[in-house]
Amino acid sequence: MKLVVKNLKKNFEKKEVLKDINFEFEKGKIYGLLGRNGAGKTTFFNCLNEDLEIDAGEFYIEDNEKKRKMEAEDIGYVLSTPNVPEFLTAREFLKFFIDINKKRIKDLKTIDEYFDFMKIEQEDRDRLLKDYSHGMKNKMQMLVNIISNPNILLLDEPLTSFDVVVAEEMKQMLREIKKKHIIIFSTHIMELALDLCDEIVILNRGILEEVDKNNLDNEHFKDKIIEALKEQ
Amino acid sequence: MIESFITSFRLKNTYRVNSIIYSIKQFPIIKRILPNSLYKNKGLKIFANIISILIEILSIFVGKLIYIASMIFAVLSFYETNQTDTFLHIFLFLTLCGGVLNTYMLNPTKDKYYAIVIMNMDARKYGLSNYYYQLLKLVIGFLPFTILFGMITKTPLWIQLALPFFVVAIKLIVMNYSLYDFNKNQKAKNENLPTKFVWSFVAICLLAAYGLPAINITINQTIFLCIFVFTLILGIYSLLKIHNFKDYRKMYKQVLTITNVYAVENNSGTQAMKNTSLKQIELDKNYTSNKSGFAYFHELFVKRHRKILTKAVKKQSIIILAIFIAVVIGINVNVDFKEKTNDILMQYLPYFVFIMYAINRSSSVTQAMFMNCDHSMLTYRIYRTPKVILGLFKERLKTLIIINLLPSTLIGLGLAILLYLSGGTENPLNYMVLFVSIIAMSIFFSVHYLVMYYLLQPYNVNTEMRSSTYKVVQAITYFVCYYMIQIQLPTLSFGITVIAFCIAYSLISLIIAYKYAPKTFKLRV
Ligand SMILES: Nc1ncnc2c1ncn2[C@@H]1O[C@H](COP(=O)(O)OP(=O)(O)OP(=O)(O)O)[C@@H](O)[C@H]1O
Ligand SMILES: [Mg+2]
Repeated sequence: MKLVVKNLKKNFEKKEVLKDINFEFEKGKIYGLLGRNGAGKTTFFNCLNEDLEIDAGEFYIEDNEKKRKMEAEDIGYVLSTPNVPEFLTAREFLKFFIDINKKRIKDLKTIDEYFDFMKIEQEDRDRLLKDYSHGMKNKMQMLVNIISNPNILLLDEPLTSFDVVVAEEMKQMLREIKKKHIIIFSTHIMELALDLCDEIVILNRGILEEVDKNNLDNEHFKDKIIEALKEQ
Repeated sequence: MIESFITSFRLKNTYRVNSIIYSIKQFPIIKRILPNSLYKNKGLKIFANIISILIEILSIFVGKLIYIASMIFAVLSFYETNQTDTFLHIFLFLTLCGGVLNTYMLNPTKDKYYAIVIMNMDARKYGLSNYYYQLLKLVIGFLPFTILFGMITKTPLWIQLALPFFVVAIKLIVMNYSLYDFNKNQKAKNENLPTKFVWSFVAICLLAAYGLPAINITINQTIFLCIFVFTLILGIYSLLKIHNFKDYRKMYKQVLTITNVYAVENNSGTQAMKNTSLKQIELDKNYTSNKSGFAYFHELFVKRHRKILTKAVKKQSIIILAIFIAVVIGINVNVDFKEKTNDILMQYLPYFVFIMYAINRSSSVTQAMFMNCDHSMLTYRIYRTPKVILGLFKERLKTLIIINLLPSTLIGLGLAILLYLSGGTENPLNYMVLFVSIIAMSIFFSVHYLVMYYLLQPYNVNTEMRSSTYKVVQAITYFVCYYMIQIQLPTLSFGITVIAFCIAYSLISLIIAYKYAPKTFKLRV
């Protein structure tokens, strides 16, 4: 399975944020999306999630050489700001999400098993989400997106607000699930990108480019990435 | 200081000009005609600047005109006391109220926040120069109308001229007291959260303003002269103190917090509104749901929002019952009243359009739906599949209609019974029409608000209202309903028309919503 993006364009009035995006994302890899502030990473995700109308181009899924439209079930998007329904408790939120995704969840676990997996304390599970901390909300958002098991996972700076223990476990978890998914991961932390991602993609001047590692060692690879980011 | 003022004025103007351009841009048609970067468009900028200046000028005069005309002049005829003295009397006491409620300087507004906290301008220079400008606007704004209404009420010229300065002097005295208080306690009070003491003072002044003339007590010109001279002296003393006060920065640091500032500017969906919405959530462990999927989701939403849903309509129902009982008693003791009631029921059904509009909860409920639920849920792609959107839409529609039907049924039944008790009617169909048309209106408003919400989804990610179309629809709804107040039509024909309209409108709009909501119901970016 592949996610193909062709000639995607997005302007905000005259400002061309995404000029001409051409890329194929493949299943089984984690893509690290790097770009300066305001480069358009979030915009790119919003376009894929159809929060924004695109101005030109297309994106679709290629499954065994067959082209098909991207459906809502295909995509999970974890925003950099946490978004959870504040009137529900964590348990109720999970139940709701499992309910509406029942058909597609393969090995359904119990709700408490999911909480254990995400390291959400027993005593927090029945509290309203409005009283959750920033990081805890982010955890829930992440968990829900993992449970609903979409083919494509978009993660916009997801690990920044997690504590070190959870962040480490999330990384491990992403590595485990990557075989069956396309994971695109935006971050500003170079070490994280190098450590976790199979491919580094740079969004600069409205264009998406892969940075080849070739045979470079990490230091040289870093320099190459920074050079690429600096290009005007 | 003048430089500081000019900078701050520019800042305020830029902010306002951009907001004006932003609003203009929000109209779909204009957006299409002028798609390019409007903020740079010269002509438009000039246009927006002119509007901005007009707003500034209007803000000087219009408020004062409305204030004097409605709060003072309009009530004069109710009293038998001397017009000149009563005018003076009410003006004086209302000025005391206004003095303690609004000092300008301590009002946590956005432009102060931008200038002092974000742009780091000199707090003393900024605060003082803008304060003096406000006081100047006060004098200029009041003078034409104290003269105008002074002439109408035959108030002597010297008083006409003195009144604006009296207002300024009171403001200065209160401000000076606030600074003194701050110096002593090192704690600045948020004037938008008046203390109990302030409220009591205001209550006493209001009572004195409107109550005393009713029992033939007013001040006279001599008393005013004494008070005026006294406040003037105190005012000048205060001015000197205020001018020489040093700790403005420290004071503003306390006053201009994010929460204070947003609380003032909460006119159209901001963080403050979000916070108030959040406060509506109640967790009660006993409330759960054994449904599943979005029915489960929705049921929990309803149960956690009892405050704005069921509790609110219960309160309404109790009030309606109370009014009903009062009218029943009235009918039984007073023949005149009985005839009037009958007349109203047969002729004033249009009035009830407005009442039904006013008691309908849908507008605030859809707002809570957005703030507490859809705002976060819409980012999940799965939540935006047609199945979930329409499924939830159905549940919400049911809830809204049922909730609003509780008070409406009471009103409908109540009106029919009152019609019977107040002498009845030749055509029994009237009972039916009265009842059914009230029910129809209630359903209409529920459908209307929900459909508009789903079709126009007016909020953006920051929970700001960003749709001019939605605002226009709201305004039209209001004006149509308000216009109905003045209309008198026979209940039978009007009622049948209303019923037909409500049914047709609801059906058509539901069809449209079903067709388009899956496309239109998303976050604005
Ligand atoms: N709704 C909008 N209207 C106008 N311009 C926008 C809008 N959203 C984003 N932009 C502009 O598009 C550009 C890209 O923004 P985006 O949020 O995608 O950047 P980003 O790469 O995610 O940055 P960061 O690393 O800071 O998160 C910015 O210049 C921004 O100003
Ligand atoms: Mg971003």
